[in-house]
Amino acid sequence: MKKHLKVLLLLIFVSFFQITTLHSNEQTVEPGISYDEIYDPIEPINRVVLNFNFFIDDIAIRPIVKTYKFIAPEPVEKGVSNFFSNLKEPLRTVSFVLQGEFYKSFNSIGRFTINTFTSLGTFDLASKVGMEKNETDFGITLAKGGVSSGPYIVIPIIGPSNLRDFSGDVIEYVVDPLSNNVPNREYIAIGNGINERVEIDEQIDKVRDVSSDRYEMIKSIYYQNRNAQLEEEYIQNLPVPKIYIE
Amino acid sequence: MKILLVLLTTIFLFSSSQASEVSEWFERESNQFLEIISNNEGTDNENYEKYKYFVNKNFATKSIAYGLIGENIINNSSENELSVYLTAFTDYLIKTIYKLANSNSSSSIVLKDVDIKDDIYIIKSEISYEKSSANLYWKVIETGKSFKIIDVIVENTSYFVTKKSEFNKILRKNRGSLEALIKEIQKI
Repeated sequence: MKKHLKVLLLLIFVSFFQITTLHSNEQTVEPGISYDEIYDPIEPINRVVLNFNFFIDDIAIRPIVKTYKFIAPEPVEKGVSNFFSNLKEPLRTVSFVLQGEFYKSFNSIGRFTINTFTSLGTFDLASKVGMEKNETDFGITLAKGGVSSGPYIVIPIIGPSNLRDFSGDVIEYVVDPLSNNVPNREYIAIGNGINERVEIDEQIDKVRDVSSDRYEMIKSIYYQNRNAQLEEEYIQNLPVPKIYIE
Repeated sequence: MKILLVLLTTIFLFSSSQASEVSEWFERESNQFLEIISNNEGTDNENYEKYKYFVNKNFATKSIAYGLIGENIINNSSENELSVYLTAFTDYLIKTIYKLANSNSSSSIVLKDVDIKDDIYIIKSEISYEKSSANLYWKVIETGKSFKIIDVIVENTSYFVTKKSEFNKILRKNRGSLEALIKEIQKI
């Protein structure tokens, strides 16, 4: 636990250090700024890690995912996805409290209670009674608290992130009220990782085919999705081309 | 007061008639698109031609292509270079849509909502695949006689924004050479 605390303190320090040092030289993608200027100072390293991730994916993860998708009937796939999503509800509850979104916080804890007691989280009954899922995480909480995104990083095996979101992930791992009380929580983390990979399987297949630079494509998609979670009227505010007579 | 009411009613009626026109256009063209996807029994060449017709008819290819490279490159390139780029980009766009559509046997596209901002229509729709569904937004401009698509956003991923970062990277790596970009996009 002491080790966890040290990591947590270090991340908080790094995150807040960013606020003070990077603020004057903002190059990160924040709502409203150009998507061309994503702060990526360690791009050569990131590219190597991305290639490594695709290699590992090709030889190990992809075959598992494809076999699973082939074997598992749709309701099973959906049930597993719901199960892992439900495990994150307590963390979402805490995140929403920190963001001052108390209604969403109550909604999350309510969803967790209903879905856990009725089906151990494998069936999303709460959505059927009007309690829709709201996505959030500690990365979003840090962003809403004014922490800038920092450099873009590609993490081995895990994939695209940035310093802020990665810090959020580590904080979640340390403070997760549920997983902290479960023995062998690593298995849950691996299961969750594979489930997340299953959920984006089709998108990954497309990225392999239709991109002239898959590194840039993945980076752009990552930031667009994160910005969509941060910015209201995100779709309306996306940049559009200047109109030329066709 | 009366004048104000008349003015407000006129604006309301005008904007709802515009929204209904764009909705009609969208319903018609999305149905045609689904028909193209489902009738892919012909040769690759024949199918490609169908997609080509659809893209040329409904996409503002010049605006998208020029928007992706930016004004600096446009100003520093000759008419001929731009024409070659436009042809290469149109082909690239057709192939991308062809690849994406062919890997999805989508069954329906349902119109959800139409919004307008700065003369750009934002059409919200939902596309259903065999197993799942996704939100699909279309940014559309009116071009006198018809409407043209300037961006497609699947869930939160914009085609224009994604391609712009890819193209910018290629241009930066090649010191702004349009020729290098053309070669790169022709590889797809």
